[in-house]
Amino acid sequence: MIDFSQLDRVIHEKGRLSIMTLLATRERWSFQDLKSNLTMSDGNLISHLRTLTKEGYVRENKTTAERSARPCTIYELTSAGRSAFKGYIKVLEDIIKHSKPS
Amino acid sequence: MTDNIAPHDEAYENLRIIRSLMERASIYRALSAPAALFGGVLAVATSAWGYRHSLGDVQSATAPREFLTVWLIILVLSGSLNLFLLFQDSQRRGQSFLSDGLRIAMRALAPPLLSGGMLGAGLICQGGQVVPAVLVWIICYGLALQATMSFAPKSLIRLARAFLISGQLLTAAWALTGGLGGGSSSTPTAWLLMGFTFGLCHIVYAAAVFATKQPH
Repeated sequence: MIDFSQLDRVIHEKGRLSIMTLLATRERWSFQDLKSNLTMSDGNLISHLRTLTKEGYVRENKTTAERSARPCTIYELTSAGRSAFKGYIKVLEDIIKHSKPS
Repeated sequence: MTDNIAPHDEAYENLRIIRSLMERASIYRALSAPAALFGGVLAVATSAWGYRHSLGDVQSATAPREFLTVWLIILVLSGSLNLFLLFQDSQRRGQSFLSDGLRIAMRALAPPLLSGGMLGAGLICQGGQVVPAVLVWIICYGLALQATMSFAPKSLIRLARAFLISGQLLTAAWALTGGLGGGSSSTPTAWLLMGFTFGLCHIVYAAAVFATKQPH
């Protein structure tokens, strides 16, 4: 039997799941890139990123953009975040393996 | 978990979201710019040589099978260089050569490339139909590049469009003119077509990539 309590509730929310997925594909993502890939509002994205940062899954770095030299915020997964994301996918796969489709 | 959705369905849906986002977010350049430049220059030089030979006396004119052999050699040389550069790039990034990007790219590229390659070779070997064979190669190469558009950089998508549009226009012209002036087995026409498409298009692509300062 699958223990559904193993599912990480922080990652399970669709918006945060999408953010974690993108952060898992590349080392660093700017706020603007995340926003354009996810088509989320600024407020929504900031709120989800804050939750993930508070949980220790995401690291935030203030820097300047290479081309425009404008200040920008870069986000990346922490090792705890990467491990939690892998664990979350593993639980999803286990659910599919062990339960029948409705 | 939401109460009204079965765990299996929700897990499946979330995995689908993850996969779709990962494929969209991963950009993979299956055609390295230096390899494209090398292949393009080689194609232009070979086309010029082949065209001059084919216009000469009938004895020295290149036969369809020689035409096929020459382009197979160029394909092997350019393809090997491309794979070598992709390998170097993966080493530099500390990633496996057989990355997910390469696997997805190969799955997208292989069917149109193999189909077009075989059909073109068949047309040349069985009836010496070099011009239709080149048109098939141009269109199938464009389709192969087009198949990578969900994860390819914009320059590669533009290259795909250039091949598809020129392939379709040339095919229409071939059909309307009865063989683009020289007939379907005209090797001079075939050399020219290869030079203008596989040669020039790759050189322009490489120049565009170099201009953006992201050679790989």
